[in-house]
Amino acid sequence: MRLSLSFAAALFAAAVSAVSTTGNRLLVILDDDGDKHVYSKFLGDLKSRGFDLSFKTPKSDSLSLFHLGERSYDHIIFFPTKTKGLGPNLTPNLLVDFLNAQGNILVTLHSNVAAPTSLAALLAELDIQLPADRAGLVVDHFHHAADNSSASAHDVLLLPPPKPVRSDVKDFFSAGAGPDDVLAFPRGMGATLGASALLNPIVRAPATAYSYNPKEQVGALTADDVFAAGTQLSLVSAFQARNSARLALVGAAEMLQDAWFDAEVTAAAGGSKKKTLNREFAKRLSGWTFQELGVLRTNWIEHRLDEPGDARSNETNPNIYRIKNNVQYTISLSEYAWDSWTAFAVPDNDDLQLEFTMLSPFHRLPLSWDTSRSSEAASAYTAHFRLPDQHGIFNFRVNYKRPFLSNIDEKNTVSVRHMAHNEWPRSFVISGAWPWIAGVAVTVAGWLAFCAVWMYSAPAKQGVRGDKKTR
Amino acid sequence: MSAADPLQVLASAGKGESTRSVLRVIILALIAGAAISSRLFSVIRFESIIHEFDPWFNFRATKYLVANGFYNFWDWFDDRTWHPLGRVTGGTLYPGLMVTSGVIYHALRALTIPVDIRNICVLLAPGFSGLTAIAAYLLTNEMTPSPSAGLLAALFMGIAPGYISRSVAGSYDNEAIAIFLLVFTFYLWIKALKQGSMLWGALCALFYGYMVASWGGYAFITCLLPLHSFVLICMGRYSTRLYVAYTTWYALGTLASMQIPFVGFLPVKTSEHMPALGIFGFLQLLAFLDYVRSAIPSRQFQTFLWLFAGTAFGVGLLGLVVATSMGFIAPWSGRFYSLWDTGYAKIHIPIIASVSEHQPTAWPAFFFDLQMLVWLFPVGVYLLFQELADEHVFIVVYALFGSYFAGVMVRLMLTLTPVVCVAAAIAVSHLLDIYLNAKSPENPDAAADKDADGKKGGKAGLKSTNKPLVGIYAGWVKSVIVSSFAIYLLLFVMHCTWVTSNAYSSPSVVLASRLPDGSQHIIDDYREAYQWLRQNTREDAKIMSWWDYGYQIGGMADRPTLVDNNTWNNTHIATVGKAMASSEERSYPIMRQHEVDYVLVVFGGLLGYSGDDINKFLWMVRIAEGIWPDEVKERDFFTARGEYRVDGDATETMKNSVMYKTSYYNYQNLFPPGQAVDRMRGVRLPEVGPQLTHLEEAFTSENWIIRIYKVKDLDNLGRDHASAVAFDKGVKKKKPAKKKGPRVLRVE
Repeated sequence: MRLSLSFAAALFAAAVSAVSTTGNRLLVILDDDGDKHVYSKFLGDLKSRGFDLSFKTPKSDSLSLFHLGERSYDHIIFFPTKTKGLGPNLTPNLLVDFLNAQGNILVTLHSNVAAPTSLAALLAELDIQLPADRAGLVVDHFHHAADNSSASAHDVLLLPPPKPVRSDVKDFFSAGAGPDDVLAFPRGMGATLGASALLNPIVRAPATAYSYNPKEQVGALTADDVFAAGTQLSLVSAFQARNSARLALVGAAEMLQDAWFDAEVTAAAGGSKKKTLNREFAKRLSGWTFQELGVLRTNWIEHRLDEPGDARSNETNPNIYRIKNNVQYTISLSEYAWDSWTAFAVPDNDDLQLEFTMLSPFHRLPLSWDTSRSSEAASAYTAHFRLPDQHGIFNFRVNYKRPFLSNIDEKNTVSVRHMAHNEWPRSFVISGAWPWIAGVAVTVAGWLAFCAVWMYSAPAKQGVRGDKKTR
Repeated sequence: MSAADPLQVLASAGKGESTRSVLRVIILALIAGAAISSRLFSVIRFESIIHEFDPWFNFRATKYLVANGFYNFWDWFDDRTWHPLGRVTGGTLYPGLMVTSGVIYHALRALTIPVDIRNICVLLAPGFSGLTAIAAYLLTNEMTPSPSAGLLAALFMGIAPGYISRSVAGSYDNEAIAIFLLVFTFYLWIKALKQGSMLWGALCALFYGYMVASWGGYAFITCLLPLHSFVLICMGRYSTRLYVAYTTWYALGTLASMQIPFVGFLPVKTSEHMPALGIFGFLQLLAFLDYVRSAIPSRQFQTFLWLFAGTAFGVGLLGLVVATSMGFIAPWSGRFYSLWDTGYAKIHIPIIASVSEHQPTAWPAFFFDLQMLVWLFPVGVYLLFQELADEHVFIVVYALFGSYFAGVMVRLMLTLTPVVCVAAAIAVSHLLDIYLNAKSPENPDAAADKDADGKKGGKAGLKSTNKPLVGIYAGWVKSVIVSSFAIYLLLFVMHCTWVTSNAYSSPSVVLASRLPDGSQHIIDDYREAYQWLRQNTREDAKIMSWWDYGYQIGGMADRPTLVDNNTWNNTHIATVGKAMASSEERSYPIMRQHEVDYVLVVFGGLLGYSGDDINKFLWMVRIAEGIWPDEVKERDFFTARGEYRVDGDATETMKNSVMYKTSYYNYQNLFPPGQAVDRMRGVRLPEVGPQLTHLEEAFTSENWIIRIYKVKDLDNLGRDHASAVAFDKGVKKKKPAKKKGPRVLRVE
């Protein structure tokens, strides 16, 4: 326990200096270095948050995601590139390996540039579908920016700050933004998301938006030809793998450009000029993708016997319990927010649950906040319960998987044994056994009395009996 | 016969009782030595290793006992078998064997002889076989006054292959000590019955308790002793001797047996134990009536009393039937029914029928295991019939039931062997007693009388009590008979040695074969694979395999298993059968639920090894079908023509089953294209082998006997395994075809 706390403290100390919880080596994939300056504010923000940026073109010979089986970079940003594929160093299989090795990827698309086949294949594996020919443009004739060079094309969408998709999901992307703030989404490509539980839309298109291919679908558009429309179009999407590696897909790379960070826009419906929210959004999106936000950590898990007066209650995490023991289970969780670990508080309308399972759960209990063991940097959740009357190999399992929060899936195996031969109440303690005990006592006493009488009685006369027998 | 006459040859070597006693002790010691040494083939040929399957569990349990002490062993909850159910091992085993080894171990240590517990376990069975020989000597001596019969019985018992099959060095199984206890308990029973002694009866109960602690076969004693008593009563041989012996044995023995947690209240709850209880009650009635009869001498009253006894017996039987049907007493178990109807298990309890040692015995097996004893056995029984004292009735009853059970189940040959040895020894000694008598009978008239009697036939022949004086006169007749029997005995010894060395001394953990030049080649795939598991997997990695290998994995690889040879939970076994018989997609959720990390299969196709999983596969299917008749169907594994095939014509269900895939995965790569051959089943396999998606090959042993597969985790990106594998292989994902139906929308 003490050891795990000090270990946690050491981790904590290490984490303060690092920017992201998984490392700061950030690879930026660009066509050529000239493109850098259009994203200078975005990249500058990343640099100022402590990332160590390296710039590479896709076909660069020195580009290698892995070195001796270890990741060379912790995160990747893909800006739109003109190449059709991304070359042998960025094949979809390598990118999947990168995700499996807990690397994070931020993919940006642009409506004028067909998405590279490698990225399209990667996204397809994640169940994110891009429009046909990997090209498309999202337009909205009602929510576009009015005061823009492309005002007639209606291709700069003005969106309200993103709201959480569900009420129990923590809001990471709009925090601090007022209801009137707008997010500019210029010339972007939308994607549709499959039913995978690992996918979540961050920004969905307004109900009036739709996607089409400006190069091929110039004429009238039938309903069947529309790739997707309305809220089915996800403009900014998030994917979090089972190992908590993250991938974010930004439909419009332009929204990360300097020009749109400071731009002032007017909505089509009229109103005053407003500064866009893009810079704050970009910061939060990249922060989430690169594991600076919404990262959960299990500091320690402790379970122990909770029987007052039993010496074994002092033993932490024993391997074996007995059926119908009372036990206590505590888990300590922290959440990382930008630069420090804080106590993780479960949202009000959500529960952190503990399962006690063997093949199927025997108990599913809410864990409650334990103030005495929580601190600024860590929160402790605890549950007391009585083990089931079933021996076997059980797991204490905390399986907490929520959108945008990294996955907590903790399994601690313990054996639950049967009653030992000397753990049953003695027979004389059970009142129901008293008649039987009395019966035993009476039999013993009667037998002894009989023996005494028998031994001290004079033997019968031998002759009479013997005569009878011979007769 | 008198005791002194037949031993003249020996007597001439040393006259006097004390010399004979010394000779007898020396001979017995030599027999015990022969019994032990003939069981050491496997140690000499291979090494000091535990054999087969069950012994590995016994060995593991013994190690636990020695390491943790008796009380921890008593309360042992084993969390490394039957994952995730665990097994209350301390309460579900017969602890006699382990405790015996533990006591020997600690005794030797107390004598400052540090011996590895493994060597004690390996050599326990031979050691006890020496004791069995002595027990057979004692038992036979109770049957006949001729001391040579006892020595012969000891000799037969020591080397009869029927007993050696379960007691070679390394065969550390319950039978190792149980046969000694069986014979010794019978000896004590006969002793108690003959003397009507409470002391001998109590000793009998003590050894019966030890037997109960050691082997499930104790039920044989539990049924045979009451049966013997019942037969005696029916013959009108009720006596106070019988009363004392039986009641002492039953009361103390039942109490002793109930101390074993695994047995518990069974002696008063199950049908198998009811005969003993019934006879106990019946004897009380008889004793009471006997007392009344001796007090009131009236013939009519006596008849009435016997009627009363008969009625009481009938009422008791009726009460038993009623109590059984009401559920107070457990009805006969399926294992019991399978003793009467050999086809019963195959239909109702496939798990019992799937064990080869539960199959009916083939005729040659009797000759193989008993050789000349087979034909000496009836002679001995006949000779006992001639005298038919109480103890002879026992052997006759034992012989009848032993022969029947040995015919029903191969493994019950073991319980038949002692009585065969005793009866055969009596027959041989009877012959030798007559023919080895160097002196010719002095009264030729008696011989003439005997001839005359023989010719008269009929009326005199039936009278067993009327014994004519038997004598042989011609020296050449004696020498011919004696020398032919000497040859028979020599042949018997040679046969026993040959069978022991060739059939029963293989550890089955290591397979031995001969190279063309005659040298021995050891195939050690099992230990290779188990060692791999031990060294390369997490300590709590769960291994799924068919139950045959559960004990070995637990003992040699020290890894948790799902099922093992202690087949206490048929559903769990059926679950494993279902996982093996289903396609990967269907068995994956089962394996995830049971936290399986590795799948282990045994494949004999490369080597032509017949005991592999494909050959056992139909049993897995049948057992799974017993629980999930809708999901697993045996019919699906047979082709339209009703053949069980593994080649290109195998059914789709067969080809998609996990067992088939794991057995033949990559196998075709050993051969030139299209030449892959399964040498066990002698068929050519299709050119394209099975593909795995949810499993990946982890290990294959040298001769491909053991194949181990790792169960993949869920895909990190949330795909199904088939498409993940396709992606890894570089297969382009097909563009979703133009949707015909309505769009599938994502709903948050």
